[in-house]
Amino acid sequence: MALLEVEDLRVAFGDTTAVDGVDFHVDQGRVTGLVGESGCGKSVTSLAVMGLLPRRGVTVSGTARFEGVDLLSLPRADMRRRRGSDLAMVFQDPLSSLNPVVQIGRQITEVLERHRGLRGEAARKEAEDLLDRVGIPDPRRRLGEYPHQLSGGMRQRVLIAIAVACAPRLLIADEPTTALDVTIQAQILELLKDLVDAEGTALLMITHDLGVVAGLCDEVNVLYSGRVVESASARDLFARPTHPYTVGLLGSIPRLDLPIDEPLEPIRGSIADVIRWKDGCAFAPRCDRVAEPCVDGEPPLIGTAHAHRCVMAEETV
Amino acid sequence: MSTDIEQRTLLDVKDLEVHFPIRSGVVVERTVGHVRAVDGVSLTIDAGRTYGLVGESGCGKTTLGRAVLRLEEPTAGSVWLDSTDVTALRSERLRRFRSKMQMVFQDPLGSLNPRHNVEMLLAEPLKVHGVGSKAERRRLATETLDAVGLPVSVMERYPHEFSGGQRQRLGIARALMLRPDLIVCDEPVSALDVSIQAQVMNLLDELQGEFGLTYLVIAHDLAVVRHLSDRVGVMYLGKLVEEADSEAIYERPRHPYTKALLSAVPQPDPDIEAGRERIILKGDLPSPANPPSGCRFRTRCPWAQDVCAEEAPVWREAADGHKVACHFDF
Repeated sequence: MALLEVEDLRVAFGDTTAVDGVDFHVDQGRVTGLVGESGCGKSVTSLAVMGLLPRRGVTVSGTARFEGVDLLSLPRADMRRRRGSDLAMVFQDPLSSLNPVVQIGRQITEVLERHRGLRGEAARKEAEDLLDRVGIPDPRRRLGEYPHQLSGGMRQRVLIAIAVACAPRLLIADEPTTALDVTIQAQILELLKDLVDAEGTALLMITHDLGVVAGLCDEVNVLYSGRVVESASARDLFARPTHPYTVGLLGSIPRLDLPIDEPLEPIRGSIADVIRWKDGCAFAPRCDRVAEPCVDGEPPLIGTAHAHRCVMAEETV
Repeated sequence: MSTDIEQRTLLDVKDLEVHFPIRSGVVVERTVGHVRAVDGVSLTIDAGRTYGLVGESGCGKTTLGRAVLRLEEPTAGSVWLDSTDVTALRSERLRRFRSKMQMVFQDPLGSLNPRHNVEMLLAEPLKVHGVGSKAERRRLATETLDAVGLPVSVMERYPHEFSGGQRQRLGIARALMLRPDLIVCDEPVSALDVSIQAQVMNLLDELQGEFGLTYLVIAHDLAVVRHLSDRVGVMYLGKLVEEADSEAIYERPRHPYTKALLSAVPQPDPDIEAGRERIILKGDLPSPANPPSGCRFRTRCPWAQDVCAEEAPVWREAADGHKVACHFDF
């Protein structure tokens, strides 16, 4: 059984649909990627799973079963208990996720007190160990510092330390390295990889960067306009990208391993050129392979291990 | 990328320094030190070519780009565009000279006046420089919109009505209005989605051919810089550490920092990712107010030796057209 099984997740803000029927699952000890560009619904999906969306004006439907329990229908108090201990999250911008006027140490021990009942010197010792585990030098001194005294990479390490403080079974990381420089990004990706390997934590990695996906993820789900358009193992997805959107994304990235004058093949138009999924493929207005069947009702999910949502794929690939 | 005509140096930056004072004190402010944002950089760009400047945040690449346009006052050194010393120009002459050099910013929304429609945005640089009548300005605006791939029908619209990619096209159109010789592009695609980045990079390429432009592209993304540039310079803590033709620097990086940067870029291919050896740099960037002695990179360099702390490496030509500042040959 999958650790997390999300089925037909839909999220609407008033009349605006952000997530439009997302299905995916995360297995124990695996790294699963949710990939897509801004507005595809990847972050909203993770916030919905964590129960972090505001209640007012937001409609959420579908299920997100964590070890068989639907998180979306849990009472708030139960969800609050699980957040931090069963599932934890790392955000993109560590500066705005940390409290600027509270010492680093206190922000870590707060989680240890609430979920593990550690107090005083025991909590402090554990916080120090956590900082050490995420690779922060001189952790005892750092405990007394404030977020602004740390660099961006250090802050992200603190955030990861807080997230893994209660050994969660699922860690959700939403663009954890996007705000960081490339050499620091490499450090943080290495750290996440080590944590997953050492603890058997499942990681749901939300990113727009296909390079990060290739290096870290076991399974990948590509999102477009609020729905998964292709899902496969990372190896399969990069070897045989099938949905035209995935193909287009890969063609848009300048690559260091290809000849220098290799032309880029961008996707035309923008995400504003869209039709509703119930009327046809949302990507159709930007797709080069578009044909009549594409705009003739909802495109079904084709295939199982390597699944996609393109009705034209078999004829052209 | 562009075709060979005759090679003529358009931009010549010589020993450029930009230092910002650090002030301290409650009642009486005193200067207690300097942030050496750019600390002695020399580079040249041939007409019609693209020079890519890469480096991580805080390396001084943006300050260098702004100093070239005199948007920052250089502390020392000179910037020559053709046969004019930009650093020696004063007030009115500098203002007029700016028509030859323009800038494209990272954040297109932040650099376009939200209360101006497209026609006003595009006509403004022409008005400032007293170019043409109203009708001529409109004609130039129409032409330029067409060149950047926007329909003339957008003329009455306002910045907020556009998507990110379209706004960057507008930003480029505005930089083009005065038909400049040099355009400094500061992170021109980093705020855009992947599929839109490719559109804008291709556009920059086309425009270079069409208008004979010379670019200084400043970016942190090595793959973007490689794709756009003929020549690439790598900056670290206010200094160039390596410079070579685009192909050469990626084929055979000679400075440990360039090697580490290249090895850190994740590639969209699981086989490459599984097989690669990453050089993980320790720690963070040191403060540019108090750079390390000798080689500035030595505190993070995996191969640092005693000599690196004692002597600053000279900027030398390690191979034909391939310059590097390192004591060793890698």
